[in-house]
Amino acid sequence: MTRRRLPRSSRRSSNRLLRWFAALPWVQRLENYFFMHAHLLVASLGRLYRTPVASSLTVLVIAIALTLPAGFHALVDNLGRAGAQLEATNRISVFLKPEIVNEVGSRIARKLAEHPQVQEARLITKEEGLREFQRYSGFGEALRLLDFNPLPAVVAVAPKDSLSRPEDVERLLQDLRGIDEADLVQMDTDWMHKLSAILRIAGRTVGLLDILLALAVLLIVSNTIRLELHDRQEEIAITKLMGATDAFVRRPFLYTGFWYGFGGGLLAWLLMTLLLLLLDTPVTRLAQLYGADIQLQFLSAGKSLGLLLGAAGLGIGGAWGVVDHHLRRMAPS
Amino acid sequence: MLQFSNVYKRYPEGGDALAAISFRLKPGEMAFLTGPSGAGKSTLLRLIPLIERPSRGQITVGGRNLARLGGGDIPHLRRQLGLIFQDFRLLDDRTVFDNVALPLVIAGFGPTEIGRRVRAALDKVDLLAKERRYPRGLSGGEQQRVGIARAIVHKPPLILADEPTGNLDPALSEEIMLLFRELNRVGVTLLIASHDLGLISRLGSRVLQLDQGRLEPELEP
Repeated sequence: MTRRRLPRSSRRSSNRLLRWFAALPWVQRLENYFFMHAHLLVASLGRLYRTPVASSLTVLVIAIALTLPAGFHALVDNLGRAGAQLEATNRISVFLKPEIVNEVGSRIARKLAEHPQVQEARLITKEEGLREFQRYSGFGEALRLLDFNPLPAVVAVAPKDSLSRPEDVERLLQDLRGIDEADLVQMDTDWMHKLSAILRIAGRTVGLLDILLALAVLLIVSNTIRLELHDRQEEIAITKLMGATDAFVRRPFLYTGFWYGFGGGLLAWLLMTLLLLLLDTPVTRLAQLYGADIQLQFLSAGKSLGLLLGAAGLGIGGAWGVVDHHLRRMAPS
Repeated sequence: MLQFSNVYKRYPEGGDALAAISFRLKPGEMAFLTGPSGAGKSTLLRLIPLIERPSRGQITVGGRNLARLGGGDIPHLRRQLGLIFQDFRLLDDRTVFDNVALPLVIAGFGPTEIGRRVRAALDKVDLLAKERRYPRGLSGGEQQRVGIARAIVHKPPLILADEPTGNLDPALSEEIMLLFRELNRVGVTLLIASHDLGLISRLGSRVLQLDQGRLEPELEP
């Protein structure tokens, strides 16, 4: 019983508090301000909806301009990831001294397999080495002239987590070099360096492309808004005569620019995802041929958000510039 | 309410559009600005909301010297004025209601207050029943009444009208003029540019006569 009576009285007083609060002039102004913005957000979308063909064309052009850099970003990201994956399948070759016989070699391989940083260690005997060399090197004829096998036995070592913990691999290399029977310890990182150089160039290219296509989006939006300004010149003149501030005149166009950018960004994201979906199967097959387990990576949540916000920002920026220019021309002489 | 002191307006391409204009409008006064076409009526009216600035001289509106107002103050000056145009200047893609609401939306009023005031203004010009219509569906007289409702909806102390009956037939013109007199009776100050001398003389208000950019000496009524 007391539970029912108490809330009612407190509800009444909290209602009174709420009404008092809502009647404060600044609260009302704030409320009106938010109402106006919400109204403009919807109204500007409605205006675009009323010219569906022109609006969708603009959004489509923006989307295509944005899909290009987004696609390159995804490509570079995936190449980098693939490189890392391939590096993980990289082997360290421990060339044993020529006098070491296969039995000693296989004992060393077994011992190395127990090393904490080693995934796998396998002996390639002198004979296996010779066979492979004859088959692949093209020096088979020359080798036949020798009456002994010049090749040493090799232990192929697969390191653990070579990408995420390069310092561990470095330590492993030190350990391997410390083996008495080892002649030469080699890890082929050359191609890795090449790949990373290529990726750096690609990254810079993508950066430049970002700037160029952002500029394109800015221009597309400004040009579209400029046409709309032209159509609504009389309306702007009238609202200015009724005492509209520049901000008031600018606002609906900023919202229009926002929708263009945001719509273009959203469509670009969808196009991007569709593109990656189409590429997923062939890429996986290609990766399997290289013995790597690569999953095509889609745009991350952070990058997706960046794309949407960046696109919306470009839309607003493009609108701002052109409306401001127009308003400055309208100032009284 | 409104004072011109030795105001000139000169355009680079032509001579003086206005020269040595001095007059004063007291609060609650209604005056007509007349003269032949090209006498400078529109130019004079354009100086008050600072659509253009005078070349020389001083204009005060409600005690404020317009020369001291910067670009950022102009919107606030214009909110103190009600403007009525010969060609109505309504927004054709908005309803009568939305047209009349415009000054209130600009001034940042909330939706309930806007609804109340717009209906009051539309009631005054007898167009309450047509608030959902679009301007193109209305007669000329009705469109000008929408324009008047828009000019009074924010209760400005000073109303400026530039040839408000220029596009209307005599009967409608008379109707509009009577509406102005009614507004004047409740204390609104009005300055109306018109060359409809017959109508003006019947209303018996103060007349400012412009000729080639100069104000003729006023006759005592």
